[in-house]
Amino acid sequence: MASNYVLVCQNEDCKARGSGELLDKLSQGLKDSDVEVKPYMCFGGCQAGPNIVLYPQKVWYCGVKQNDVDEIAAHAKGGAPVERLTHGIDDGLKDLIYQLLDAGLF
Amino acid sequence: MILFPEGKPTRRETFDEYRASGGYEALGRNLSPTAILQEISDSGLRGRGGAGFPAGRKWAVAAETTAIPRYVVCNAGEDEPGSIKDRILISHRPHLVLEGTILAAHAIRASHAYVYLNETYDDCFNRMHEAVREATVAGLLGALAITIHRAPTVYVAGEDSAALEVLEGKPPLPRQKPPYPAAAGLFGKPTVVNNVETLANVPPIIRNGASWFRTHGTPDSPGTMLFCLGDEMNHPGAYELPLGTSLRYLYENVGGGLKNGAELKAILPGGPSCAFLTNDQLDVPLDSESLKKAGSTLGCGVMRFYSKDTCMVEETLRIARFFARESCGQCPACRMETNMLSAMLERIQQGKADAALLDQFQKIIDFNRGKGYCALINMPGPPILSALRLFRGEFEEHIRGSHCSGGL
Repeated sequence: MASNYVLVCQNEDCKARGSGELLDKLSQGLKDSDVEVKPYMCFGGCQAGPNIVLYPQKVWYCGVKQNDVDEIAAHAKGGAPVERLTHGIDDGLKDLIYQLLDAGLF
Repeated sequence: MILFPEGKPTRRETFDEYRASGGYEALGRNLSPTAILQEISDSGLRGRGGAGFPAGRKWAVAAETTAIPRYVVCNAGEDEPGSIKDRILISHRPHLVLEGTILAAHAIRASHAYVYLNETYDDCFNRMHEAVREATVAGLLGALAITIHRAPTVYVAGEDSAALEVLEGKPPLPRQKPPYPAAAGLFGKPTVVNNVETLANVPPIIRNGASWFRTHGTPDSPGTMLFCLGDEMNHPGAYELPLGTSLRYLYENVGGGLKNGAELKAILPGGPSCAFLTNDQLDVPLDSESLKKAGSTLGCGVMRFYSKDTCMVEETLRIARFFARESCGQCPACRMETNMLSAMLERIQQGKADAALLDQFQKIIDFNRGKGYCALINMPGPPILSALRLFRGEFEEHIRGSHCSGGL
């Protein structure tokens, strides 16, 4: 089992904004690393999607575009967080989702 | 009883039989809209579709507007698992339902009434179609137009504003409220949407008076209600009982207990969106206030009884899956919540969850409360949280991966 995850929301809104391609690209970009890229059912941040959460770092990226993928992959491998994509998600929602992830729901 | 003389459906009433037993007498009195509305308000009749909102208050909202035209919708979109009461009322007493619809239309001065009918109910469609024809020929409709409209068989299509969308030719998606349909409903005009059973109570109330109606039931929940018993019971079916009757009477005397003498463990007294009760709560009276005090709700009267050997984790998962499937998907929070709850319960049921997950349900439900256009987002909460509270041991057994005893 991997110890680092990149969770990519695959619910309707995020998918309509290209999260399927984001999942493919990230999987491709991280295939030789110890990071596991996984689809996630929904983070509830639909208006701000596509949403991607790095766990256990607990960094939430929203409004992700195809050309953000390389930077996110770099962060997942231990690089710097992509600060500009971390705004716009309610703190209460973040807490809720992080607690669920801590409880093993992914 | 008010809806069925013998307290249960026995025969399919004809137009002549209905008239011979006092049918259309209420309509024949040519009461003013104000007088009809006053009588219904005085009767304390509450909606029988699940929410229990006072019918008189809903009608008053529509009657007090100045907008025209106005509409009445008889909601027979029935898609609640286990509910058969709308179907039974229309197939057995179509004219009672029709007269109630006409009276409601008079009360709010509506020009058009719709019977919004589950599309799979062919028999009801034919019965209602025939009833409308008979009433038209007999000159009972006056200037009122009546249309029977087929309702899609998805759960949310029975929600009042989703019904209006369907009547407007659109997909069954609930509207954001306010405005409520009584103020701005069909085509933006004042619209009273009432459940079939609610409207069926109207002619007897107008004929016999509000004080007569109040001799049935309790002061806060006057009248009777149709309770649906499933085939886990010795005597399944729809039964009319005065509100305030004890759950024990319904379970033992009317339903005859569970099949094969199985021992009772739990009760879901009002459909999948209400909280579970346990077998030591059988003496609760069946009315909204008492059930509220007991921690649950009366809903639309669909009763499920669970035997001792039922796995409550599986039952709860079944309910969570139902809401995840039936969420229409237009409100992100509802989509997320219903999917999440269902996925969490699935994990637990399969023994693949951490015990910490049990504490997350309340948080998710609290976080999402009221964040949808309709009430569906609030529906998984009561059954799931009550199951976790009442049958926690079973959830823990599943998490430990040990065999589920299904016992308390």
